[in-house]
Amino acid sequence: MQTQTSELLNNYNVDPRTWDEMYSSSTVREQYKGVVDFLRQMSIEELSKKEELAKRLFMSQGITFTVYSSGEGIEKIFPFDIIPRIITAAEWTYIEEGIRQRLKALNLFLKDVYNNQFILKDGVVPFEMVYSCPHFLREMHGFPVPHDIYVHIAGIDLIRDHDGTFYILEDNLRTPSGVSYMLENREITKRIFPDLIPKNNVRTVTEYPNILHRNLVSLSPRQTAHPNIVLLTPGIYNSAYFEHTTLARLMGVELVEGRDLVIDNHRVYMKTTAGLQPVDVIYRRVDDHFLDPLVFQPDSMLGVAGLMSAYRKGNVAIVNAVGNGVADDKAIYTYVPAMIRYYLNEEPILKNVPTYQLGNPDEREHVFGNMHQMVIKKTNESGGYGMLMGHTATEEEIDRCKVEILKDPRQYIAQPIISLSSAPCYMNGRLAPRRVDLRPYALCGPEGIQIVPGGLTRVALREGSLVVNSSQGGGSKDTWVLAV
Amino acid sequence: MLSRVADSLYWMSRYMERTDGILRMLRINYASSQDDIHEFSWKPVLRIFTYLDEEGAAAISRDTRAVLQYMVTDKENSNSVLNIVTHARENARGVQDHITKELWQCLNDFYHTIRDEQLVRGLHTDDPVSILDVLIRQGLLYYGITDITMARGEGYAFLNIGKFIERGVQAADILDIKFSDLEYDLTRTDTTYWKYLLLSISGFELYLKTYRTGFDARNVVEQIVLNPDFPRSILYSVNRLQLHFQRLKDELNREGYQKLDFMIGKIQSRVRYTTVDSILQEGLHGFLKSVKDDLYEVGTAFNHHYFAYL
Repeated sequence: MQTQTSELLNNYNVDPRTWDEMYSSSTVREQYKGVVDFLRQMSIEELSKKEELAKRLFMSQGITFTVYSSGEGIEKIFPFDIIPRIITAAEWTYIEEGIRQRLKALNLFLKDVYNNQFILKDGVVPFEMVYSCPHFLREMHGFPVPHDIYVHIAGIDLIRDHDGTFYILEDNLRTPSGVSYMLENREITKRIFPDLIPKNNVRTVTEYPNILHRNLVSLSPRQTAHPNIVLLTPGIYNSAYFEHTTLARLMGVELVEGRDLVIDNHRVYMKTTAGLQPVDVIYRRVDDHFLDPLVFQPDSMLGVAGLMSAYRKGNVAIVNAVGNGVADDKAIYTYVPAMIRYYLNEEPILKNVPTYQLGNPDEREHVFGNMHQMVIKKTNESGGYGMLMGHTATEEEIDRCKVEILKDPRQYIAQPIISLSSAPCYMNGRLAPRRVDLRPYALCGPEGIQIVPGGLTRVALREGSLVVNSSQGGGSKDTWVLAV
Repeated sequence: MLSRVADSLYWMSRYMERTDGILRMLRINYASSQDDIHEFSWKPVLRIFTYLDEEGAAAISRDTRAVLQYMVTDKENSNSVLNIVTHARENARGVQDHITKELWQCLNDFYHTIRDEQLVRGLHTDDPVSILDVLIRQGLLYYGITDITMARGEGYAFLNIGKFIERGVQAADILDIKFSDLEYDLTRTDTTYWKYLLLSISGFELYLKTYRTGFDARNVVEQIVLNPDFPRSILYSVNRLQLHFQRLKDELNREGYQKLDFMIGKIQSRVRYTTVDSILQEGLHGFLKSVKDDLYEVGTAFNHHYFAYL
């Protein structure tokens, strides 16, 4: 058994140009010691059994997404790595402060850009940057959202460079997903590694649905003790449907589809067995452009005709607010540090990844000359779509990409490739380093911003890969924030 | 409760009740097919639970393995156990926040079991009874979990309404088709025939305890239509339907409630205040068909008054 476990750890080869979450040079970092000691007592067979158990639990709980091929649905689980990712208390304090500051600024930006536009008039963010963004919605102009909160739920993506510095990669301010995996991954760890969590002083994540529910209740436009809150889902064929049901269940709110709702005289109702019931707050998981066929995409079946007018009249609260996409656009991203200085008069705590605007000819020229060190992204795509990783792309791919960029440079940005930190993963009987990012979830309510200690760690399961998106072969890990 | 949710619960429950009916029927008829009955045929079973036409049913009615394959795992058969469990699960998936997590997991497990190719291959190569037993047990788990974990609210009422409409229809169907197979000749006293019919709806032991005079078609009719204590009788199903329906009484939907109350009450009286003699006088087929039609109409009325959301 002893030889087996040393095998488990000895083959762990950290890339010297990468920050590893577990190893610093060749010693195990303090925060990982408890877990490493625990793993040392396990045989490879036991660990493989645990991995098997985790898979079975996901499958039988229906934590799956369906891939439709040849007219038949095949159930798949999002890959889960059994080794937790660990964040120290000090790291967490720093992240928490940084996110809180950033969200405050982003929220002020949204309020500003949809009202007086001081930041544009003062020349801090260029007008054309905002007006050319497809997610900037004129329909949102000049109306007060409840408590001035636009971003009720944010999933901010962080990565770590080779020296361990945290960078903000993306602000997800529209309908960030994945929080059910934060919750479920923890439940799975409790099952496969009994006692390990309390022994390591891990902070709990289970408060998330309660905080969210409290915030939703506080947004109700009707003064009533029991406002009707609904979670609006696109339906069972949506890949995040499991998440929608989980959240609805954990909060005890009604899960509705667009066809369950109807608008009468600028008020939202749901169709029930006892007739129409008023709806006060909608936590929607449907994108802006599908929300209301009368205002946005006219052929959308997912939304509710007349919803925007009910919203603008203040008869219903929508979470997150409509039109947030202008603040998490990849080109606007460059200006977030400037926003923090402008609105808060503070220096940004968390850094941005250096970003080149390809709409700017000088920056474009620089990027075109260094394509192999760059990652090219479309400003309004997410999920790892529309990306080019310069270090692995062929010359032809690069040339094709350049042609695409020149068609509409505003739609693209470039960033130097950040290596991403690595964390241990259980891979076929041994631990191997794989690249990870981190998405904590922040909730903003009238009482302030709360960030649940934890988050979703996404991991690129292919060796050497830097893309963690689940649509590109990524998996996830339970994420521990230590209390001390 | 959302109309869509009520609709899904109702159908989830109907599909699960049908699954149970089919599996029990298959299990007993398989045994019967192995018993040396001279004229055993799968035709009545195929007529009750599939949409095969005369020709299609005739083609496989003597091929036990083909029938099992068609009725359990055939993807083309819209009423195969595989398909209806899938439908039940899809309905459950859309209302996961209204059923308990345990119930959802149970249906999800059932779905994965029936899709387990290695398991169902046994239907062709192994002892089919052990496979059917595995599936029947999954269904029993569903009933048990529903009973133990589901709150006794509106959702529970719709679950039961679906269940007992389906069961009542099934009882009428089974009886009607089994008798039509004999051309409604009530003088036939083919013991094994009645025995297997009763076994397939778990009514054999009750029959033995109730009637001491051996097998008589009239008694079979009495038990399956009129015995209020036999959980698969029409009367029992209608009584239960009525009981669970009453919980929906609500000022907000008075019109719908009154209409359905009337319809269900009418069926209940019709079944309750009759005798085997008057049923036979009226004609067994006519009686069963009218009960079935009335139950279908109740389903349609629910659609109209409670589930309308599209």
